Amino acid sequence: MADVTVYLKCDRNVEVQSEDVYMSDVGSLRCADPAVSAKLRALKVHHFGKRDVRRCVISTLKLVELMEDVCPNISVQIVGEPDVLVEWVDVDRHRGIVQWLKAALVCLVSFFGTAFTIMAYHNDVGINDVFTEVYRMVMNREPGGLNVLEVSYSVGLALGIVVFFNHVGGRRLTKDPTPIEVAMRNYEEDVDKALIATAGREGREKEP
Amino acid sequence: MAGTLFLIVFGGSYGLLAAAGVFTVLVAVGLVPRFAGKTHTGARVVLYEEMVILGTVTGCVLSIFSRYCRFGAWWQQRFPDRMNVLLAAGNAAQAVYGVFAGMFIGCLALAIAEMLDSIPIFARRISFRHGIGFAILGMALGKLSGSLFYFWAELHRAAQ
Repeated sequence: MADVTVYLKCDRNVEVQSEDVYMSDVGSLRCADPAVSAKLRALKVHHFGKRDVRRCVISTLKLVELMEDVCPNISVQIVGEPDVLVEWVDVDRHRGIVQWLKAALVCLVSFFGTAFTIMAYHNDVGINDVFTEVYRMVMNREPGGLNVLEVSYSVGLALGIVVFFNHVGGRRLTKDPTPIEVAMRNYEEDVDKALIATAGREGREKEP
Repeated sequence: MAGTLFLIVFGGSYGLLAAAGVFTVLVAVGLVPRFAGKTHTGARVVLYEEMVILGTVTGCVLSIFSRYCRFGAWWQQRFPDRMNVLLAAGNAAQAVYGVFAGMFIGCLALAIAEMLDSIPIFARRISFRHGIGFAILGMALGKLSGSLFYFWAELHRAAQ
């Protein structure tokens, strides 16, 4: 067998649904020789034995070692992440009544929480006093009933939120991700980094 | 006419900027992503954002147009002989509002404290290794008793 170069690109976080983790689960391979590539993809890299341990961190060096055991004549180039976080998830994790209940809980907290936040903000800045004063200054009379300032403020607030969050009624205004989606990805990245660092410190990382 | 126009422009722009300001803070502390991460429902982030939008608009209407949102008075006028229904429904609604708003504010308070890294820095200074769980529990109990004391002693009236 000729000396071939294998390029290995790993993701930082992968989810698997079976107990056995194969090379093709943790990343993608590129190799000029299709036979070598197929052999390496089918390589078993980890086995989740206990049901309670559902997460493991695998160093790519370990993967290289495994690959070199099977095919000694390869040279491996790592182009992706140096460590992979593998999570074993049940198939039904993304459906079921519990998921709906959790989603409903987050919805309720977000709804009432932000309602409270904006009310507290209006209370803090004393918005009704400010509006009454502005109305008196401009119109030279006492505000009575529904006044134009309050209505336009509310419309402006709603517009501002819709523009800021970039969608209304599930329909996006532009193709950009929304701020909470961006924050969500950042948060996931931070969690992955922290998990990998913790596993490294506690010596639980799979290394050669 | 010019005055009305001015008020529209003033109110509209204040609304736009207040929305941007308040939501930058909410997004910066990353509360909703954390809820979604904890419950593993990241796929529903857009739904949660809708709730944030709805909640803000509702809160805005309730506090700006509070004089038109007197449900209790309306019910009393309409059904004077059914005050017990109002009492039950009103208490239930307030309990729901209170619990969920409290959860949100509790998370917000700790998220802001965490954004300033105050807990990790303090833990490092006093070489605090174990028992971070008890510290968090202590904080929660402290907030609970502080909040109860505040309302029990009516400190909000004293401040005025």
